[in-house]
Amino acid sequence: MIKLVDIYKSFGSHDIHKGISCEIKKGGITVLIGPSGTGKSVLLKLMMGLLKPDSGNVFIDGEDITLASYSRLLEIRKKFGFLFQNAALFDSMTVFENVAFPLREHTDYDDTKIAGIVEHKLSVVGLSDVNSKFPSELSGGMRKRVGLARSLTLEPDIMLYDEPTTGLDPIMTDVVDDLIYDTQHQLNITSVVVSHDIKSVFKIADNVIMVYQGKVVFAGSTRDLGSTDNQYVVQFLSGIKDGPIKVY
Amino acid sequence: MNASKEMFIIRFFNSIGATTLSLFEVAGEMSILFVSTVKCVITKKIRYKLTMKQIEFIGIKSVPIVVLTGGFTGMVFGIQTYVGFKDFGAESMSGSLVTLAMVTELGPVLTGLMVAARVGSSIAAELGTMKVTEQIDALDAMGINTLDYLVAPRLVAAAIVFPMLNVICIMFGLMGGYAVNVLFLGVNSVEYIDQSVLYVGFIDLFNSLVKAFVFGLVIVVVACYKGLNTRLGAEGVGKSTTQSVVISCVLILLFDYIITTFLVSI
Repeated sequence: MIKLVDIYKSFGSHDIHKGISCEIKKGGITVLIGPSGTGKSVLLKLMMGLLKPDSGNVFIDGEDITLASYSRLLEIRKKFGFLFQNAALFDSMTVFENVAFPLREHTDYDDTKIAGIVEHKLSVVGLSDVNSKFPSELSGGMRKRVGLARSLTLEPDIMLYDEPTTGLDPIMTDVVDDLIYDTQHQLNITSVVVSHDIKSVFKIADNVIMVYQGKVVFAGSTRDLGSTDNQYVVQFLSGIKDGPIKVY
Repeated sequence: MNASKEMFIIRFFNSIGATTLSLFEVAGEMSILFVSTVKCVITKKIRYKLTMKQIEFIGIKSVPIVVLTGGFTGMVFGIQTYVGFKDFGAESMSGSLVTLAMVTELGPVLTGLMVAARVGSSIAAELGTMKVTEQIDALDAMGINTLDYLVAPRLVAAAIVFPMLNVICIMFGLMGGYAVNVLFLGVNSVEYIDQSVLYVGFIDLFNSLVKAFVFGLVIVVVACYKGLNTRLGAEGVGKSTTQSVVISCVLILLFDYIITTFLVSI
């Protein structure tokens, strides 16, 4: 379980989070929604200790990671898989080397076994014949899928997805949504997804948290999301510019 | 004193104070980076493949520039000292001066400066690009110690190859000085070699190797620090690269003075 308690975070004079508290239940898919620039990606990084809050606590399975040493944090992070917004592939490595990287670092598998796992993970995300290509030779969508394959390689307990479907065509978006859903249900992991894609939210989410102006303005199930009269949610789901969410 | 003059003086001292504080902050952070990396080198398994790759990049690929720098410096210094000593009929003394200068100062300092430009800029640009494209966050997210993976192999490689590059620079400097004096200017070969070894001992060579070793560490620590702290995209990468070379060069000259003072006094 992931629990955030009274999180404050700012970059310079720009306050991102102003007292965020929320709980992400084990074994489900929680989607974080909210307007751009409200710190959803920052929230994901806080969850795995890539950033430290200015104040507040982050609990992972009951352990406060804001108090953990760097070496302990590295251990805790092995529970996580993280799909970055721009995939964050290592540009000096081929696709195969990128996907194989976590296995080479954290397991004693031989080359044959690693090759088998890499092939399987790449086929799961719908990629083939790209092993020897470099990230710069791939399209944005393909890079994202390679990043997804890499983050799933070690079959983590908690998967964090930072806008996994942004930049993908509608069909591939559906494929990735299915992949997130299937992965979560097959491995019974905890998934947290940052998304702006409302269709995806209703398709995959068990729970939804909406963040606006540094605070949680909605937290509930997908069913609650569809029936709520919360004006922030209503405006965000309908995608109209007039409402409590200020665009400018 | 009018108000605007008073404000100017306050701002002036404020900026001095802020610059001094930021200098100490950067020096402190670089020291922490160095100590943490040394701790990684001691406590963790050395990554041989990555270290060998860095030895090739920092060491082997720097040989041509070091050979050219050493060779031409030795030749120019040989001509200059020949002209100076000729007035006293002591042309062969040129050998002493070229050897002493190359071994004690020019070898390590020129090696440091040239390799800082070639290697320091490259390391800062590579790590800076990794930083702004979240590749370093990706390493962190996978539970990989970035100092162990990115900095330690470079530090170990620099510690190994810099003294060797220094020796190569000195050798080619001496050969350049010999070639100019003996082959082109007609100085007696035996006299030139006798003079060359007269004032330089093994302790001077040892001190020279110590300097090169320290300069190598300085270049890698500065470049890695600037790379890992890069911000603001492509412009930030450019800034980090430039700053890395400038800071490394200044620190090489500063450490050269400190080490020389220390070694002379013991």
